[in-house]
Amino acid sequence: MTDLQQEVTNLIYQEATLLDRHHWDEWIDLYTEDAVYWVPSWANEEETTDNPEMNLNLIYLRNRGGLEDRVFRIESRDSYASVPLDRTVHVVGNVLTGNEKAGEVEATANCIIHSYGKKGGLTRASLYDFKLRREDGELKISQKKITFIDDRLEGPIDVYHL
Amino acid sequence: MDGSILTDNLSTLVDDRVDEGMFRVDRSVYIDESIFEQEISNIFEKCWIFLCHESQVANHGDYFWTEIGRQPVFVHRQEDGSLKCFINACSHRAAILTPFRQGNAKTLTCRFHGWTYKCSGNCVGIKNEEDGTDRSRFDLREIASLASYQGFIFGSLSADVPALDDWLGAAKIWIDLMAVQSPEGLEVVPGSSTYKTDGNWKLQAENSVDGYHVSTVHRVFAHTIAARESKGEYTGIGKTESGRISGGVPTASYDLGNGHMAIWAQHTTPEARPIWEARERLKNELPPKQVEWILTKGRNLYIFPNVMLMDNPSTQIRVMKPISANQVDISVYCVAPKGESTKARAGRLRKFEDFYLTAGMATSDDLAALEDTHEGSMARSAKWSEFNRGLKSITHGADADARELGFEPQACTDNWNHEVLYHGFYRHWLRMMKGEFQG
Repeated sequence: MTDLQQEVTNLIYQEATLLDRHHWDEWIDLYTEDAVYWVPSWANEEETTDNPEMNLNLIYLRNRGGLEDRVFRIESRDSYASVPLDRTVHVVGNVLTGNEKAGEVEATANCIIHSYGKKGGLTRASLYDFKLRREDGELKISQKKITFIDDRLEGPIDVYHL
Repeated sequence: MDGSILTDNLSTLVDDRVDEGMFRVDRSVYIDESIFEQEISNIFEKCWIFLCHESQVANHGDYFWTEIGRQPVFVHRQEDGSLKCFINACSHRAAILTPFRQGNAKTLTCRFHGWTYKCSGNCVGIKNEEDGTDRSRFDLREIASLASYQGFIFGSLSADVPALDDWLGAAKIWIDLMAVQSPEGLEVVPGSSTYKTDGNWKLQAENSVDGYHVSTVHRVFAHTIAARESKGEYTGIGKTESGRISGGVPTASYDLGNGHMAIWAQHTTPEARPIWEARERLKNELPPKQVEWILTKGRNLYIFPNVMLMDNPSTQIRVMKPISANQVDISVYCVAPKGESTKARAGRLRKFEDFYLTAGMATSDDLAALEDTHEGSMARSAKWSEFNRGLKSITHGADADARELGFEPQACTDNWNHEVLYHGFYRHWLRMMKGEFQG
């Protein structure tokens, strides 16, 4: 494994760990200020929507502020869907890393997410498409597209379920 | 009805003594599977059911597969532009005929044994056909009734339904408030979400026009939006209406008859609504009262039994598909005026995603509350849910706003915290359950 592959893989693992352990502020710090966080909806059984501006997405946050909104709501303890908070375990695999060009690198990964809450245990899965950018020598997430393969959704879905 | 042991006891489920200050519903209506089975046969299979929006079957051959109660059906756009709706099952051995929920096929070939049907429903091909087969016996079964109002397509398995216009009644004026926003009509935007709800369908019906929960369940949404907007990033159409959540704005609730219900709340920031850009055009095209309602009143409409139309921060069609007493599937679509600017469309979609999805920051909380309500209804030792708020404020017939817009509700009150609108819902529910009304 090259140093870059190691660095990218660590970053993706780190994100999963911070979500599962509810270290929300450190999680947000993995993202650039202008980071795009995009979970398309399914346009039909086989394809997701592909124009986030003009189609309906499950989540489409156009900067880090959108993630801050989510954390604000979780930490408020006033969200019906977030109290009690589901327990989650993300298992990330299949990390594939492109080449770094002008401080940017793309990567893909798969994730199985097991959660436990009022409905008992649920297992969901996502495909991740990352764009990473080097800021002050450190790789950060500038774009994360999550293809959430579930269609008929069970229970509320928040950033820690994806 | 059908010798059901339930029939004699149905009336006891709705304790309707408004004159004595009491309207309550036995919580077994949410959890009892025998009641649910009777709802399927007496309501969902007898009533007008919302199927889809015309923009979802715009062109010849477009089909949309949905359910009436639990029976699969599909709407199919014909060559002459008309619509037909068929039972979605091969006449031979019942395989579903449409490979996708939505698609285009000018003929449909069953993927099981290869029988083929024209758009018209005529059986035109039988693989290895035997001599003397009368194909016409195998034409697809059309549902008994199909009609549209302002692009919203409804169907019924029963032929014995009132005209759709009569059935919708006072709700028509509320549908108009959405449909007239563009002279080109409305369109469903690509993308949707379907979610399974562990709760009874009537709890979703109640929740969709429950103004009373907004200031508790959605308080966190208002706080989140306030924190976001205090950073100054979200201005103009990027702002999200939250005045109605904090309370203190004019509101009202309506029993529209036939089980239909509606609420509105005055918007404090109408300039943030996607339709605001069209205000001058609307003023030229439409009566002033209609324009005022479109621009300044956030509205939720429930049409008995399976569809809700929301025009609040964004615009939504929400469709229910009952699965069992304890479960309902809900599909949500963003519906928008054709021809609006890309800025308005994007604003409409972002507001939709913020609020109206189980991956959003408000509907997710509604879902959790609804599922808790269902679970609490299992407590048979405390069997009544009360709908008594607002009893002293009932106006029978129209209030001043309704008169000015031109609709005649059964009853209304001047506060969306009130529960009088549910009386109409449960009275109509009871009438249909007893077989006393064909929907």
